[in-house]
Amino acid sequence: MDLQSMILSLSRYWAQCGCLIQQPYDVEVGAGTMHPETFLRVLGPEPYRVGYVQPSRRPADARYGENPFRLGRHLQMQIILKPSPEDVQELYLESLKSLGIDPAIHDIRFEEDNWESPTLGAWGVGWQVLLDGMEITQFTYFQQAGGIELKPISAELTYGLERIAMFLQRKDSIYDIEWGGGLPYGSVRLHDERESSTYGFEVADVDMLRRHFEDWEREAGRCLEHDPPLVIPALEASLKTSHLFNLLDARGAVSVTERVGLIGRVRRNATRVAEAYVRQREELGHPLLQDTKEVENG
Amino acid sequence: MADFLLELRCEEIPANALPGARRQLVAAMTKLLESSGFTEAETRVYSTSRRLAMLIADLPLQQEDRVEEMMGPPVSVAFDADGNPTRAAEGFARKTGLKLEEISRVETDRGEYLAATVRHAGRRTAEILAEAIPTIFSGLRFPKMMRWGEGEFVFVRPVHGLVALLDGEILPLELFGIRAGRTTIGHRVHSPVPFEIETAADYEKSMEDHSVLVDPLRRREILDAQASTLASEAHCRVHEDPGLVSEHVELVEYPGLILGSIREEYLELPPEVVVSTLRHHQKCLILENEDEELRPHFLAVIDRKDDPEGLIRIGNEWVIGARLADARFFFEEDRRKGMEAFLPGLEKVEWHRVLGSLEDKAERIENLSHFISKTLGLEISAAEIGRSARLVKADLLSNMVGEFPELQGIMGGHYLRLEGAGEALWTAVRDHYRPVGFEGAIPVSDLGKLLGLADRIDSICGLFAVGEKPTGSRDPLGLRRAAQAVVKILAEAGWSIDLDSLLRRSLEAFERFSENESPFEAIHNFFGDRVRRLLTDFENVSGDTAEAVMAAGWTNLPECCSRARTLEEIRREENFRQLALAFKRVANITEGREGADKVEPALFEHASEKEIYDSIRAFRESLAELLPQHRIREAFEAMLPISDKLENFFVEVLVMADDQAVRANRIALLKDLGREFLALADLSRLQIEGS
Repeated sequence: MDLQSMILSLSRYWAQCGCLIQQPYDVEVGAGTMHPETFLRVLGPEPYRVGYVQPSRRPADARYGENPFRLGRHLQMQIILKPSPEDVQELYLESLKSLGIDPAIHDIRFEEDNWESPTLGAWGVGWQVLLDGMEITQFTYFQQAGGIELKPISAELTYGLERIAMFLQRKDSIYDIEWGGGLPYGSVRLHDERESSTYGFEVADVDMLRRHFEDWEREAGRCLEHDPPLVIPALEASLKTSHLFNLLDARGAVSVTERVGLIGRVRRNATRVAEAYVRQREELGHPLLQDTKEVENG
Repeated sequence: MADFLLELRCEEIPANALPGARRQLVAAMTKLLESSGFTEAETRVYSTSRRLAMLIADLPLQQEDRVEEMMGPPVSVAFDADGNPTRAAEGFARKTGLKLEEISRVETDRGEYLAATVRHAGRRTAEILAEAIPTIFSGLRFPKMMRWGEGEFVFVRPVHGLVALLDGEILPLELFGIRAGRTTIGHRVHSPVPFEIETAADYEKSMEDHSVLVDPLRRREILDAQASTLASEAHCRVHEDPGLVSEHVELVEYPGLILGSIREEYLELPPEVVVSTLRHHQKCLILENEDEELRPHFLAVIDRKDDPEGLIRIGNEWVIGARLADARFFFEEDRRKGMEAFLPGLEKVEWHRVLGSLEDKAERIENLSHFISKTLGLEISAAEIGRSARLVKADLLSNMVGEFPELQGIMGGHYLRLEGAGEALWTAVRDHYRPVGFEGAIPVSDLGKLLGLADRIDSICGLFAVGEKPTGSRDPLGLRRAAQAVVKILAEAGWSIDLDSLLRRSLEAFERFSENESPFEAIHNFFGDRVRRLLTDFENVSGDTAEAVMAAGWTNLPECCSRARTLEEIRREENFRQLALAFKRVANITEGREGADKVEPALFEHASEKEIYDSIRAFRESLAELLPQHRIREAFEAMLPISDKLENFFVEVLVMADDQAVRANRIALLKDLGREFLALADLSRLQIEGS
C-alpha cells in the first residue's frame, strides 16, 4: 500500500468512527499534538473526535537526506478520541485492517511508553504499539495539557506514517517508499530534506531567530492580554516560538543554561493559552457539549 | 469449603507494575483472611499483561461463631441501694446485646461482678469478601497511575471486566464502575470471544483452554524450554538473561518464540552495538556459540503460540535489520568524524543544570586527577591527563551514544582503539564507568582508575553541594553506586590515599554553591556507609570487625581493608581473645574519666605499671616501623604481649586509688594504651564471648 493510500484509508476509517477529518495546521509544529485540534480540544468537558495528518518538523533530527530512517520533517496521522471510548484498543486494531494489516497473523503488542512534552506542559500514559517488533503508533491517554488536569481523558493515536510505509512496503530507505502513482518518497522530498538540513544546521541566522523568538513571545503575550484574549493567535505565536527554539537548538546556538530557560518561556505562554481557552469555552457555554446532548436527545 | 475467584481485566499493564501488584494482593488478602479467622485458606495470585486475578482455596462459607466471656461492673456499682439497675448495668447489657435478666454474676477475688457469655454469630464469607475487596483493589499502588474515559477512576490502565465467583455463584461487587459477573475473554488473537467461567476452581484450566496462561511461572517454564529448543536447532546457546525473560513473562498472555537471523556482515560491528540493538531495543534473547561469541541469530518473544504465515519472523528480521543498518550508519559517521572532532561540543552539552556543561565537568575531572596522580606519584603526564579527561566524555556527543546511551564509554573505547590510540587511553575511556557499584572489575589501566575516581567523586561532591543527595529510595543519578565504585577502585587498586583529602579537594570547585554549610561531613558519612558494606559484603568480615577497624579510621581504603582482614583472622586466636577482653576492661574503666595530662613514671607503685608503660613504648615503636611497610599482621601481633601484662596489671593494681594523682596517672596510662591501639582498631567494639 502506498503512502497516500494509507492516508486515505486511515482517514476514511476514522471518519466512519465519527472523527472530523481536519487538515494539517499551517504553522510549523514539532508534532501533531501542537495542532489546536489536539492541544486545545482535549481541554475542558466538551467531547470531540478528530483526525488529521500533520507534517512534523524536527530540525535537529534532519540528516541531509543521508540517513535512510531519519527525517527533519515527517508525517504523523493524529487521532483524538475524547472521551477515550471503552473500545479504543479495538477501534485502533480495526484501523490496522484498513492498512491491510490483519492482526490475526501478526504479533501486535502494547508496550508501556509514557509521553511528556515540557514545552506544552502536557503528559500522558500509554504505550508504543509494536507490530512484529516495529513501533508503528504512539497510543496515549492524555492526563494533563497546558498544566491543566484533564477530565474527560482523551486518547491520542499517532501513527508514524513513513515508518509504517517502510514496513508495509519492506523498503530499506524512507526515500524508496512509494508515495503514490508510482512516485517514490525521495522524488518528492529528498531535495527539501537536504536543503532544510543545510539551512537548519549551517545557514539559519541565529540573531534573526533570537529576535523573532522575542518578537513572537511578546506577540503571544499581547494576544493574551487583549480583551477578550485572542486564543488562536496567541497559540500560533507560541508555536512560532517553539519552532524558533527548535531551529536555534539544531543550529547548536542554545547554551546549556539557556535551554531550560527558553523551554520554560514557551511553556509559560502555552499554559496561558490553555487557561484562556478553558475560560473562553466556559463563557461560550461549552457549545459542543450542548450539540451532543441535542444529538443524544434526537 | 469454597473457592473464591476474582479476575480484573485491563488494557496492557506495564511489565514493571505486575510483580508489585501481585505482592500487594497477596499481602492484603493474607491480612484479610487472618483477621477473618480463615487460617486454612490459601491465596494464589495470577496475572498476565491484561489481567490480575486471584484464587482463594479452602475458604469456609461462613465464619465460625465466636464465644466471648465478658466482665461487667461490680454488682455493688451495677445496682443502687434499692436494688435497681444503675446506668452502669444498663450500659453493660447494651454492650453485650443481652437483656438485663440474661446477665449473670461471677464471684471474683475483688467481689461479685456482672458477667455475660456472648455468642458472636460468624459472618458470611461472601459478605466479608464483597465488603473488603473493593477497598483492597482501589488501594493497589502502581509506579504510574492514570485516569481514562470520563476520568472518574484511577488505576494502572483502563479496566474492562470483572469476574467474582464464590464457587459457582457470582459475588455481587463493583470495581471501577464495573459489576462483577462470570464472563471473561480469552487471548486477543487465539480466543477473542467472551465466555463464562463455570466455577472458581476451574479458572486456570478454563483460561488455558482459551489460550491464556494465568500463572507467570507456567509462562516462564514454556519460554525457557522453547528458547533452548530453538537455540539448539540453530546450533547456538541462549545467552543467559533472566531479567529479560522475567520481563517477557509479564508482557504476554501466552508466550511464543521466533528464531530469526541477521545478516552476517553486522557481526563486524562492535558486539556491544549488536547486543544493544537486539536486547535493549528489540528485547530479543541473544544467541551465542560455546565461546560466548555472537551468532547471527536472535530469539524474539511474541504474545501468541505461533507465526502462522511466517510474517512475524520476517517482520522482526526486517526491523532488526533496519535498526542494525541505522547503527552501522551511526558507526561509520562517528568514525569519519573522529573522537577529537567531538571535543569542541563538550561545552554545549549540559551535564547538570547548576553544575554546568560536560566541558566544565571535564575540567574538574582533570584537576582532581592531577591531584590524585601527584599524591600517588603515578607516572602519567599532565598533558595526558588533560587530554584524556575530555576524551572520556567525547563519545557522549557521538551519534551512536546519542542513540544507545547505554554504550557510553564502550563506544569511546572502540573509536579510540580504531583510531590507534594507546591501550592505556582507550581502555581508560572504555572502563571509566566501571565497575557499576560493587559489581564488575575495576579499570585495567591506572589512567582508567584515575579518571573513574575523579569523575565519580566530582559527581558526588557536586551534587551534594547543590543539595541533590540521595534520599530514601530516590537516587536518580546513582550516587550510591558511584560511591561504591570509588571505594572498590581505591581498595582493589591498592591506592593508599586519604579519601577525605580527595573530597576536600573536589569540594573546592563547589564552594560557591554551599556557602552556609559545607557538605563535607555528609559526604564523608555517605562514603563511610559504603566502606562498611565493602568490608562486610566483599571482604567478608563480620559487622563488629568492620566497626572496630573503621573506628580507627577508614579513609585510606587499602590499609583499612587490610586491617579488617587481619583482625577478622586474628580475632579467632585464643590469646587475641584474652587481649580483647582485657582491652574491653581498659575501655570500661577509662570511659568518662579524666586522666593526667601526661603519664609520670615516678608515680608508679607497681612493677606491672612500669611494664605496661614500657609495652606501650615498644608497641609504638613497632607500629612506627611496621605500618609504613604495610606489615599489618605483625602490627596486630605486636599487641599480643600486652595481654598478659594487662592481666597482671589488673591483679596487682587498683586503678581507682585513693590518691588523686596516682589515680589520674593510672587512667592516663590506660588511655595511652587505648590511643596506641586505636592506630589499628577499637577492640572494645568487638563482641567477644565471655565479655
